[in-house]
Amino acid sequence: MEHPVFVLPFIGLCIALVCIFIFRPDLTSTSGGKIMAFLVFFILPVLCLGAGFSSKLESSKSTRFCLSCHIMEPYGKSLLVDDPGHLAAAHFQNHRVPPEDACYTCHTNYAMFGGVKAKLGGLKHIYVYYLKTPPAPEDIKLYDSYHNRECLHCHAGARSFEEGVVHAADPDLLPALRANKTSCVSSGCHDMVHNVRSLKDAKFWKGGS
Amino acid sequence: MLSTNPLQRKIQISGIILIFGLVVEAVCLLGQGPIAFLVFIGLGGLAFLVAIVYYLLALVRSGSA
Repeated sequence: MEHPVFVLPFIGLCIALVCIFIFRPDLTSTSGGKIMAFLVFFILPVLCLGAGFSSKLESSKSTRFCLSCHIMEPYGKSLLVDDPGHLAAAHFQNHRVPPEDACYTCHTNYAMFGGVKAKLGGLKHIYVYYLKTPPAPEDIKLYDSYHNRECLHCHAGARSFEEGVVHAADPDLLPALRANKTSCVSSGCHDMVHNVRSLKDAKFWKGGS
Repeated sequence: MLSTNPLQRKIQISGIILIFGLVVEAVCLLGQGPIAFLVFIGLGGLAFLVAIVYYLLALVRSGSA
């Protein structure tokens, strides 16, 4: 239930029914009216709130939502760098991640309650953005170092990953990646991720709109 | 406009608060940014909570009176 268009008529119905009870409160004097009032004042609002919250939660995973903060603009631009060596750009442009949820797909946490942790992280971002002094975009750092689990959520078991020339060359590499002892984004491997410092010299892909 | 019957008056007040919450929710659902999300949770959620609790308390008190 991502789009609010499904929730808005429900809210409209709830408002209309509440208005009936505001203008005709004497309806609650009968037992049928009392039951109706309980539905209108308790059950329907709880359903509206739940549906609205679910819709809002879904929309907060969208790339558009993440990039709506000014500070994230360079990170959005980095998704359009015309260079297959740029990890984030290559994933976004080749739909290795859903483009509409690109940020969330890579930056959520695929452990138990990972989605909740990601949302709490998002609240922390908002707190820093509005109530503290946010860092410059190029100075933004992850709270924790990037865990291979997030990459392996999709890549584990894939032939291109398991039998890749570099991955298969060293028999110790794949176990080390799975154990998060060697980072996928460590220096010399997939280390060009967003690189917002070098965007002014980059060429950008014009497609994808 | 408000009823003279105490229970009905409380239901009317609860309804007014509920409509405020519903309108806030509807407006926030149309917004895209994090502020809309926060207002949805903070203001809309609070209005819902107050309205529902006020309504339920009115019911309980009218039943015990």
